[in-house]
Amino acid sequence: MQKTMIASAALTLLLATTSLAQAETLKFLTWQLTEDTYGPWWEAVIAKFEETHPGDTVEATQIARQDFADTMMTQFAGGSPPDIVHLASFEYQPFAANGWLEDLGPWIEKAGLDLDGWAGQNLCTWEATTRCINLQYFAYIMGVNTALLEEAGLDVPKGWDEFIAAARALTKDVDGDGITDIYGTGLHLASGNNYINDMLNFVLDAGGSWTTPDGKPAFDTPEMVVAIDHWATLIREGLVPADTTGGDARQLFVEGKVAMRIENPGLAGVIETSASEEMKPNLTLVASPFDPPVGGASAIIGIPSEIPDERKQKVWDFIAIATSPEMQELFSEIVGAPAPRPGSVTEAVLASTPEYGLVVEAMEKAAAAGVDRVPVGLETHYNELASIVREEIQRMIIENRTAEDTAAVLQERVSALQ
Amino acid sequence: MNRTLPQSILLYTTLVVVICILLFPVYWMVITSLAPSNALRSFPPQFWPQNPQWQTYTNLIFNTDMPRWLMNSALVAVVATGISMLVSVLAAYSLSRYTMKGGEAVGLFILMSKMLPATMLIIPLFGIFRNLGLMGSLWSLIIAHATAIVPFATWMLKGYFDSIPQELEQAAQVDGCTPWGALFRVILPVSAPGLAATALYGFVLSWADYLYARTFLANAAGNWTANVGIATFKGEYQTDWNVIMAASLLAALPIMIAYLFLQRYLVGGLTAGAGK
Amino acid sequence: MSELSQSRTAVAAPRRSSGLFGIDLASPKHANKLGYLLLAPAALLILAILVYPMLLAIDISFHDVKFATLSFGASEYTLANYQKLFSSPDFWNAIRVTGQLLLVVTTISMAVGMGTALLVNQQFRGRSFARMLIALPWAIPEVVAVVTWVWILDASFGVLNWILIKIGLVGGPVSWFSSPGTAFSAVTMVMVWKGYPFISIMILAGLQSIPEEYYQAAKVDGANVFQRFFWVTIPCIAPVLGVTLILTVLWVFRDFSIIYVLTGGGPVGATETLAIMTYEEAFNFFRMGYASSIGVVTLIICAVISAFLVKKTSHAIY
Repeated sequence: MQKTMIASAALTLLLATTSLAQAETLKFLTWQLTEDTYGPWWEAVIAKFEETHPGDTVEATQIARQDFADTMMTQFAGGSPPDIVHLASFEYQPFAANGWLEDLGPWIEKAGLDLDGWAGQNLCTWEATTRCINLQYFAYIMGVNTALLEEAGLDVPKGWDEFIAAARALTKDVDGDGITDIYGTGLHLASGNNYINDMLNFVLDAGGSWTTPDGKPAFDTPEMVVAIDHWATLIREGLVPADTTGGDARQLFVEGKVAMRIENPGLAGVIETSASEEMKPNLTLVASPFDPPVGGASAIIGIPSEIPDERKQKVWDFIAIATSPEMQELFSEIVGAPAPRPGSVTEAVLASTPEYGLVVEAMEKAAAAGVDRVPVGLETHYNELASIVREEIQRMIIENRTAEDTAAVLQERVSALQ
Repeated sequence: MNRTLPQSILLYTTLVVVICILLFPVYWMVITSLAPSNALRSFPPQFWPQNPQWQTYTNLIFNTDMPRWLMNSALVAVVATGISMLVSVLAAYSLSRYTMKGGEAVGLFILMSKMLPATMLIIPLFGIFRNLGLMGSLWSLIIAHATAIVPFATWMLKGYFDSIPQELEQAAQVDGCTPWGALFRVILPVSAPGLAATALYGFVLSWADYLYARTFLANAAGNWTANVGIATFKGEYQTDWNVIMAASLLAALPIMIAYLFLQRYLVGGLTAGAGK
Repeated sequence: MSELSQSRTAVAAPRRSSGLFGIDLASPKHANKLGYLLLAPAALLILAILVYPMLLAIDISFHDVKFATLSFGASEYTLANYQKLFSSPDFWNAIRVTGQLLLVVTTISMAVGMGTALLVNQQFRGRSFARMLIALPWAIPEVVAVVTWVWILDASFGVLNWILIKIGLVGGPVSWFSSPGTAFSAVTMVMVWKGYPFISIMILAGLQSIPEEYYQAAKVDGANVFQRFFWVTIPCIAPVLGVTLILTVLWVFRDFSIIYVLTGGGPVGATETLAIMTYEEAFNFFRMGYASSIGVVTLIICAVISAFLVKKTSHAIY
């Protein structure tokens, strides 16, 4: 508590010294503004910033997730980046590689921000400098429809064998019209890098990883072959709705048409806000059936290198507020998952939300196993990696290839990227 | 034309079948927009809403920025069409009435402009508008749309002007009209159908744009057009098809109405412009 | 097409005009100056907003850069992008797919456009209403249309699968975007739906300009309905058909949003056209130089095809 107060006092002092600068509008593009969980948190951060910086305003704009990287890319390439840079952890690397992100090292030092134990922060190190601050660290959990499980006489599955058995038992054509009405699970199968984010569940479960620790592709390992086979099995047997995005799968879960969905903890918030009253009691969060669960940094914040120094100062102030103990605690409370700052989950929050222990446990497991979604050595090729993996899996299913063949082709194609 | 009864029946049946098939997607938009969101993903689908949810529309109109986005779309389309009509009328008149060096090349050049992949132009255009200080302003969109409309509009109007006998303005000039007077007081009134067709074409082109609007206005939510706004209804985690379809219908409605009133000119205007 | 290939001869200069900028623009000597003056705004707009960015893009295609800069010759000139392009199987696949799509979409939409135009060119009660309905899809913005189709074609909950199963055409739901054949069909279907109305409007315009006497004369000569179609209708609307064909071809070539939203170019490249490849390389893989080289090749192919079509169709006119 005392630490919090000192930090707030330091923050206020810092802000007081800069408030003499000219009033400005900071542009901020995000894909989270309209989401039920993150939206209110960002609004709180913005309100706090505007309160401590009289005259300055933050102009926040919602951009659809699927258009986000393109939009940011165009803004930077065209020379007018937003002042507050918000990006997914797996897409910031090309921006850093191009020298578009400010080295935050001096800022962090000047402000005395202690990033020791800050979850997922290692991902922000780019060529030995700190280019961003991690704002979210997640580990996946699973949402299950207990009514459907009970109806099929099943327990919550643990491990691949039970998971696939449950998926088969839960997939049903209820009215016999030849169209499946309820699917065992749902995956992100549309384009975009959520494809490999979802697939990573099965890769980690089989003991594989995209690359070796020193950054060489590791697609032709026996573990990877198993993972590819598991993933393709779910698609081949029609246990998942075809061509869906992760968002579709999540929504179908909330509507009771997908029985199990492995997801980030944001699922809790979505159940809370979009499930119907009849459906809510059936939807329960449990631990991911797989060990270790997928985890990792998920969104970062940074400063563009091209804007004037006074502006950078203001953006830093904004970052300082977002990373302050007060806001980090608020994040843990609103979003339903721990914020990256150590100790930002208060006892009150832990007590009030039943799933919280589950989420924290999953995060600890993922962190202990050193899991991250962004593969070492392929950081700037994440989009291409996703696109290649998706294409080869599609080829495998269409042309009825074996997992071994696909693994070999993937190894070759991914190696050519580096 | 005289038709026997079986022929008439055949004609009307064909018409009804063809129209039903071709317009099914539009019908499905309407049905989906009126369905309750929890009934969308169930079988059998409802082909007629038992319980039409009009509040989907009232919500869009009163609780979202949809009206503002529609206003922006309309503003951009009207101004872009206006500017491009002015520019195209002058250019088309010039091409139709004067022999100039390089006049022939202009025709091919106009076609060329229809070949440029828009995705290739986006980044240079972005830089240009930023240097002009127009980024995020509706003017960036107006100028970009006008440029897209001008080549085809010029070409359509030139065809139309070519079909108007030159004696008409010569007579007017004998009566003391300047070349400007001849153009505005004699040629343009005669060309009304051609102008209407061209304007409709320009309006549709501007209204339908998504790529430019999304790129130039990303940073300025207050200036979004309807198409950009609709895209934000498809969230990362939620897709409410009924809301998207209702918004889409609202966005398509103005063009449908414009088309309703101007379609007879469109056919007439194109006859001269393209057929000649 | 005559506007494009034939310049007007013998233009009588307008007489008796007051001067502009002190020049008697009406005099034959200065008449052309007024012509240029009238053309200037259009030319300036096109130079600034189309030609200049195009030149920049061409310049970028000769640099091995990941990100575009807005000045000429910012780094060393190289042919690396083009070498890589011509040796890439993806590029040749994209050429093949674009060619197939061009052929299939153009043929079907021309046929549907022609059919619907002939249908609503008949005399019947409610004709103008029918004309409006037939061309209605033209008035629906492309993004809106594609989103609607995504919903109709949804593999799990789309209405089309339900209808097809009820009619008995398919045994189980079709995952439209999961196999190359169905994905290509889906793209074709949506493109035809969005493309035919404009063709229909253009052809209808052409049909209405055919004098009724031609048909009467052909009838007197004993021509049946098919002979009349091939010997009167087609030659009379040949110029319109030519223009429409070129515009349709260019549209299919460049269109990006329909395919991108429906399939993203997949599965396994089955619907990856040059336009999609350009976009992916530029905005997903951040290789601007390479993407621009694809754009430039697209531009050249378009230019060659339209030059060819212009020649062919203007041939048909004379």
